[in-house]
Order: sequence, then C-alpha cells, then structure tokens
Amino acid sequence: MIVLSVLLLIVPLAMTLSMSFDARDYLGAFPPTDFSLRWYEKFFSDPYLLKGLKTSLQLATLTALVSTALGLAAAVALDRLPGRHAELAISLFLSPLIVPGVVIGFALLLFYARAGVSDTFLRLLGGHVLITFPYAIRTVLAALGGIRPSLGEAAQSLGASPIRTFWTVTFPLAKTGIAAGAIFAFVFSLDDVAVSIFLSDPDRYTLPVALVSMLHANFDLTVAAVAVLIMAASVVLMLALDWIAGLDRVIGAGYYKP
Amino acid sequence: MSAGTPVLELRHVGKRYGAAAAVSDVSFSVESGQIVALLGPSGCGKTTTLRMIAGFVDPDEGSIHISGCDMRDVRPHERNVGLVFQDYALFPHLTVEQNIAYGLRQRGDRKAAIAARVEEMLALVHLEGFGARRTAGLSGGQQQRVALARAMAVAPEVMLLDEPLSALDAKLRQELRFELKQILQATQCTTLIVTHDQEEAMSLADEIVVMDRGRILQHGDAPTIYHAPRTRAVADFIGRANWFEGTLGARMPDAHRVFVTAEGTFRVAADGLTAESTVQLCVRPERLRILTSDETVAEELNVLEGTLASAAYLGSEIHHAVMLASGRTIVCVEQNRDQAIPARGTRVRITFRPQDCIVTGP
Repeated sequence: MIVLSVLLLIVPLAMTLSMSFDARDYLGAFPPTDFSLRWYEKFFSDPYLLKGLKTSLQLATLTALVSTALGLAAAVALDRLPGRHAELAISLFLSPLIVPGVVIGFALLLFYARAGVSDTFLRLLGGHVLITFPYAIRTVLAALGGIRPSLGEAAQSLGASPIRTFWTVTFPLAKTGIAAGAIFAFVFSLDDVAVSIFLSDPDRYTLPVALVSMLHANFDLTVAAVAVLIMAASVVLMLALDWIAGLDRVIGAGYYKP
Repeated sequence: MSAGTPVLELRHVGKRYGAAAAVSDVSFSVESGQIVALLGPSGCGKTTTLRMIAGFVDPDEGSIHISGCDMRDVRPHERNVGLVFQDYALFPHLTVEQNIAYGLRQRGDRKAAIAARVEEMLALVHLEGFGARRTAGLSGGQQQRVALARAMAVAPEVMLLDEPLSALDAKLRQELRFELKQILQATQCTTLIVTHDQEEAMSLADEIVVMDRGRILQHGDAPTIYHAPRTRAVADFIGRANWFEGTLGARMPDAHRVFVTAEGTFRVAADGLTAESTVQLCVRPERLRILTSDETVAEELNVLEGTLASAAYLGSEIHHAVMLASGRTIVCVEQNRDQAIPARGTRVRITFRPQDCIVTGP
C-alpha cells in the first residue's frame, strides 16, 4: 500500500524530470533516448514565459509579505480573544480553504469588475492573499500559541509596554513560525493556477497561467523544464525552512510549552 | 522609607468570575522590608490576588495601594513590581545576562550601569560566570535564581513570588528556601510570597495570611497561626492535628478549664475562651508523649489510654498511630533518638500538657 502511494507520487515527478532533459524536438516515446538542456535554454530565452516568471516572483514575494503581516496581526488579536470567540473567528479566517480556487477566481473577477479594481497585478495580489492567508494565519497562530503566557507577563512586570513586549519577546520567539508562514504563502502563490487564470490578462499573467496557455497552443517539453524548476525551488525553500526552524516544529505544535 | 510604613496595602479587594467570587474582602498590608506569605490550598484565590497586585487582573471591589499610590488604572508595566513566576518564565531566546538586564534595558539605563548591576545580581544569587549561558541548559535551581535576579535587578518596590520553590524536588527546595530567605533579608526586599506549602510559608515569612475560598481566615506570625489557630480550617491546613469534640466546663482554681469529651476529660489552658457550647480541641501530634511504663505522671497532665496500632519509621521522626478506647486513632510524632519502638498491640498511655491544647471554634 505504502509502495503504491509512493509510486503514485514519485513516478510522475520522475518522468517529468527525465523528459525535461529529452533531446528530441518532438514528444517522443518514453524514456528519452538522448539528453540535453535545450528545454531549459528555450525557457530562459522565451520572453513570454520569462515575463510570467517575473510576475510570478513579484506576486509571490508581495503575497508572502502581505499575507504574513495580516496573518500576524490577526493571530495576535485572536490570541487575546476569549476561547469561543477566537474559535469562531479562526474558522472564518480559514474558510477560503474550503472554497474551490475556481470559485474564488470567478467570484473575485465579478467582484473586481463591480468594485472597479482594474489593475491586473492588484487583482492577482488580492486573490493570492486571499488563498494564502489561511496558511499564514495557521502557522503564526501555532507559533504564538506555543509561547507561554507567563513570558509576556514577565516582560510587562519588568517594565515593557505591551508593544515592546511584542517586539522583544513574542516576535523573536515566534519568528521561525512567522517565516514558515511566509514561505508557505510564497510557495502556494507561486503554484496557483485556478485563481490566477481568471484574474490574468494577456499583458500581465503568472508563470503557471502562461504554461497552461502554452499547453493549449503549442505543446512542447518546456513545460516539463519549468515544472522541474518550480519543484526545485519548492524543495530548496522547504529545506531552508527545515534548516531555519525544523519542519516538524513549524508544522507541529509550538516550541516552548512544557 | 521608614520601617512600619505599608509598602503594599490591599483594602477590601474582591474579584468575581461570573457568579463565583474568586477573592472577597481581602485586606492586608506588607510593611517595608517585611516578608508576608499568602498561604492556602490551590484555588483559594491567592494567585488571583497576586495577579491583581501585579496588574494582570483588575479587582472588582476595593483598592490596591503601592507606596501609598492607588494602583487603579496603572498598567502592569507602569507598576514597580518584581515578579517571580512559578515556571520562572525566563526568556528562552536570551542569555542569563540578557534576562537579568531586560528590566534595566526597558528602563533605559546606561550600558555600563546595566553591566555593573547584572554582575552585582549574579553575585547575589551565586551565579558568577553564568552570564553568557543560555537559560535552557540551567538546572531548576539555577533557573529559579536567575528569575529572582531578573526580578530584583530593577529594585522593585514589592517582590511577588508565585510558588517560588514548588517546581523543585524536595531536597533542593529546602536548600533554596534557606538561600532565598538570606537573599530577601540581605536586600531588605518587601516581599509577598504566594504558596500552598505551609513549611515554605512558615520558614520564609515574617507574617502569614491564611486564605481559603477567596477569604482571609487568619493573619499572624507563624507561632500564632500554629499555636492559636482561630478555626478548625486554619489548624487543619497548618500542620497535623488530632481533634476532640466536647464542651468547655468549669474554670479550675489554677486558671485551667475543664474540657469534657466522650474520650475523657482534659485540663486546658484556655484563658480567653468564653464559649460554653460545643467546641473543638486539637493537640499537635508532636506534643503528645507516649508512655509504655507505669511511671506516675504529674497530676496536671492529661492522660489518654490506648493501644499502639502501627508505627512508621521516617528517619528523623517516628509516627505512632494509637487506637483509643473509643476506637478512634490518633497520631503521635516522636523525634528519633534511637529509642526502642514498642511492638504493635502494646498498651500505652499518652500524655499532654494543658497548654498543648488548642481550643477553636467550629
């Protein structure tokens, strides 16, 4: 059973990896006979895809920042609410998770038209913040929840105002969790197609959207090369996260509770 | 500030959570340099009282004064109160030095002054050379001392210690109790200790405030609380007690009074007592003497007869359970002086003096 699941997960990735190095200029039978870097070269010389990459990176970075900042603010407030209210508010904040991306994308498209938001980048940013916010708030909440309340009280009894307490005690103790939230938001933003496809226009589009339209127009293995690059970026980010914080600690409960 | 001035004063302080009163009508004061213990079982309101003094909980009734100033609407960080938490609450991301310097830094002291004060505090708690360490690697006793140094560094008007030694094992607790007392006395710190441990309260504090169910039961020094508890609850909470129920009888020529119980008639020294109704008498187990021989005892002494039910050898003490004729068992504590321990079933006599009797209300 485990072997089957692993195969199901690994085999498509391995195939994509090997095909991205296929030297043939047509979609030939698997496995490839010769290997080259031609699809990677094509990607890095294709202005259409590069433009998508640039937008995607800008969008993911900004999304991560905005989402984490909002998540942090919300989580700090939630941490102080009495239990029942906090739970209600948290379910509300996490609700975008259960709405399919396609629905969010379409709904946002209608909303933006009504609200008069015409800048495409702004439209994309709004959508991405919406879908990554639940992840950001979850990780930040876990990090804050792990900090014993007595630490904050100790700081206040030593003369630190609530704001100074936040910056000298709460934030330093939660920062790995906050960084984790930012990285999750970045990765999910980089990855999104469902929402972005509704909000992009021919002039401003993300890399995954560009890949989808390429699949429709002229299919070649550049898609595989880009997929491998995105995978590599995700792996690097996750390794970085593991190195900074310890992935199990970031995903699991907090740090300092006995 | 001259001695005898209350540094901390609580006036009719009350706090309720919903319908339940956590603290009601609590009034007491701590004078400059004095150590007062707030003693009571868990849930008696002592921690809520401490949190109100620190400013984390607002009282519903009454007022709290520190150095004469009403603390209403004064936020925790604006009060000059040092707090030692039960879990120490040392900042895990800071070194020992940075922990101790935290309060000084918030106050905006100069760097050189901070460094000097940190050294001074490290010396005070005997942790010289530990400054650069992380707090996580320290033992429980060391963490406790860092927490104490951190709270005392800013020279607070009042030190509040929340169950300061409860997280330590028994042996270390005794050592640190002694050390804590020395440090508090050396620095003339005005201190309020919250504890459920009667030994901690009696050994550390000049005065003890006994609390239960949100109310103060009695306030006094350790001997008073131990020898003249006002109610059965206080006597039971402080130390062990053997109880007898009965009525106070006639005054005797030698100023003693008769106390009549189903298990015998005792002479008690109860000068101040007037109640003739059913009252209770308690004798501390260490005031009972066990006699196995037929020697005659002074007429003044009270005598009970019984058989030895069991003996527990605890090292420094031996606890005897003696079954009385009524079938009730009472406990006698003897110092271990290498005496022979009588066998189970031995007939014994128990004697105690009139002044060992504590007569309390219900």
